[in-house]
Amino acid sequence: MNRYVVYNFIMVSLLNLMLFVPSILFQYRYNGAVSSLITASLIGSLSGIVYVHAMSKFPGKGVPEILNERCPRWVSVPVLLFLALMWVSTSSITIDVFAILINRFFNPDANVFVILAVMCVICIYAASRSTLSMLFNIEMMLLLNVPLIFLLLMKAVGSNQMNWDAIRTASNYAQTMPKLAPVAAAAFIFTGYLNMSIYNRAMPPNYKFKRGLLLPVVGVGVLAISYFVPIGLHGVDGVSTYLYVWSATSDSLAMEYGFIERVLFVFLILYLNLTLVYTSSGWHQAMEMVKGCFPKYKPSIDEHPIPRRNYVIVSAFAIITILALYLLNEKHLIQLTSIWLIVRMFAEYGLVVWIVLLSRLRRESA
Amino acid sequence: MIRFRRAACAAVILLSAFMQGCGFKDIDKRFFVVAAGIDHTNNPDKPYRVTLRLAIPSPKAEPGASKSQLESIETATIAEGIRLLKGHVDKELDFGHCKVVVLGESLVNSDYTEALTWMLRRRDIQSIANLAVGKPSAQEVMSVNPPSERYPGNSLFLSFGTQGTDSPFTIQTYLSDFERRYMERGLDPFLPVIKRNQTTYMISKVAFLDKQRTKLTLSNEETQMYNQLSTKFQKSSILAMYKGKPIVAVLSGIRRSYRIEVRDGKPIIRMKVRLRCILEQAPRGLYNEGWGPIEKAFEDQYSARAEAMFEKIKRAGVDPFGFGLRYRATHTGSDATWSRWVKLYPNAQFEVRTSVKIDGTGLIK
Repeated sequence: MNRYVVYNFIMVSLLNLMLFVPSILFQYRYNGAVSSLITASLIGSLSGIVYVHAMSKFPGKGVPEILNERCPRWVSVPVLLFLALMWVSTSSITIDVFAILINRFFNPDANVFVILAVMCVICIYAASRSTLSMLFNIEMMLLLNVPLIFLLLMKAVGSNQMNWDAIRTASNYAQTMPKLAPVAAAAFIFTGYLNMSIYNRAMPPNYKFKRGLLLPVVGVGVLAISYFVPIGLHGVDGVSTYLYVWSATSDSLAMEYGFIERVLFVFLILYLNLTLVYTSSGWHQAMEMVKGCFPKYKPSIDEHPIPRRNYVIVSAFAIITILALYLLNEKHLIQLTSIWLIVRMFAEYGLVVWIVLLSRLRRESA
Repeated sequence: MIRFRRAACAAVILLSAFMQGCGFKDIDKRFFVVAAGIDHTNNPDKPYRVTLRLAIPSPKAEPGASKSQLESIETATIAEGIRLLKGHVDKELDFGHCKVVVLGESLVNSDYTEALTWMLRRRDIQSIANLAVGKPSAQEVMSVNPPSERYPGNSLFLSFGTQGTDSPFTIQTYLSDFERRYMERGLDPFLPVIKRNQTTYMISKVAFLDKQRTKLTLSNEETQMYNQLSTKFQKSSILAMYKGKPIVAVLSGIRRSYRIEVRDGKPIIRMKVRLRCILEQAPRGLYNEGWGPIEKAFEDQYSARAEAMFEKIKRAGVDPFGFGLRYRATHTGSDATWSRWVKLYPNAQFEVRTSVKIDGTGLIK
């Protein structure tokens, strides 16, 4: 079952491109981005390993059950609702951004809300399935898309347009102190392990995560690629010109003998898949958090038939998502994301510390 | 439950009813712009002249069968000019296949920034479109209809890249590369120059620009040398005079490295070039002579010419090779580093050391 932890980790780390993580890092490229990358890698991998380990002390349980058991309800319910908000907002921002991207690059004449609505319908369906189906869904989508995404990333690294002097110049700015916003942005790449909060329910009883080393390796690799490759292709000074840095990066690569010369379109389709599966996974987890607030709720990983409240909760998320796109323009969306990433980072490490403490207390009492 | 599921299905189908006619136009209702040209006019009210080459879709694809239509307009702004051009044609303009954008000589001699910004903002102009300078004007270059063309615009963009001709005099620059060089401190843009030559194009020179306009155009030989040294372009040749006769050798390998040393406040750029080559045009009987003196002749003359070229580029005040960026890459990251280099570069000295190795004399002695 190790692989499901790794799938979640890879999914979230690759998705950082859609959440403006590189853009936020590039804003700080002269004052603290590189040192922030290093800081975030250390904190991120450490808390990842610790958290997955702590969760394995609670076999077959998710965070809602743990909190409900160990804390009074007036503590656990607001915390669960906040966690639900945390998952909904990241996935909703992602899908909003992607709707804008499709609107920009594929079909500028279409209404962006129609595009978003169709994507939301897909995600409502996927997210309202049972936890087990969701995990299988993630596995299939990643197996289909990640090899191609890696191919594109490697193509970018090996491109003859790559200017290594620019990368060296960027890494020379390492001596400045890390700053909060870039650390929060870079730490997002390592947050995939947090999905274990719900998916731990599907793990077998005597389960132990043995691939701890994979988290820092994958995380640092993805972080380095998503930060340095655009700098190598767009230059240290020019990289912050672009609004959607990675779309621009994939557009500056040509596959002369590929079926499609513009890499951009291949890239967008792969990321469309990734975004859809990420959003459904996020909504699914938020839904489970909300369901954990009901007093008589019994969690089950393979619900059949699908209860009606799944649809109701997830549809509410979809409506929030559509409203958010209606109310915010692109500039606000980026600003909101930047602030949200900071809040999210504190919430994440708060949760990690809490769960680790609970797992320790349990061992002492047992 | 089943009723609910049916309702959900009905909702999806209803939703898809909104999708009809979402702005998609069939391929025969579109005009594909295969190349665009932007010129600067002397008219202050309408400073831009936009020329578009539109492909006429045809069922045949054979040499000489390409048909295209040329549309040109003088306009105050590029974006509005394109909108106005839509009034001249009966189909929707589509820039998705615009693989070459030609900037007129008049435009790059005055100020190209406006045109660059416009291209970057347009989502449908590819970042992998080739940019070039059009001489005498972009419109003149656009109006060429080469007889060998298989489909519209084909011969223009086969000239660039490695799919068609591999000319050592043609340096390629993408829109994204141009933008990078426009923004980067210590790396300046360059553009290949397309000259109209009756019914064909002539691309054999490179123009170096600063962050606003052209500063220098190299000669053909210098362009080839620049291409060898900067992109390590192998399918090219070197020339030397040996005992009063010209010898041309075709390259089979290039290695190049350089270091920037600062001594007494004066930067010395030491470049080491290693070339391997095979003789292509030379007097008979060289095989039995020692090859050492020939190699020596190549080495000395190549070094001298390279130093002269770098000196010329330096004196024009541009840095397309990226010495400044290398300086920034090897020194602490701060703005002070850059301002130090700005003072250093005008005094830079170049020391090119070439080592040439002749692999053979071709098929005869």
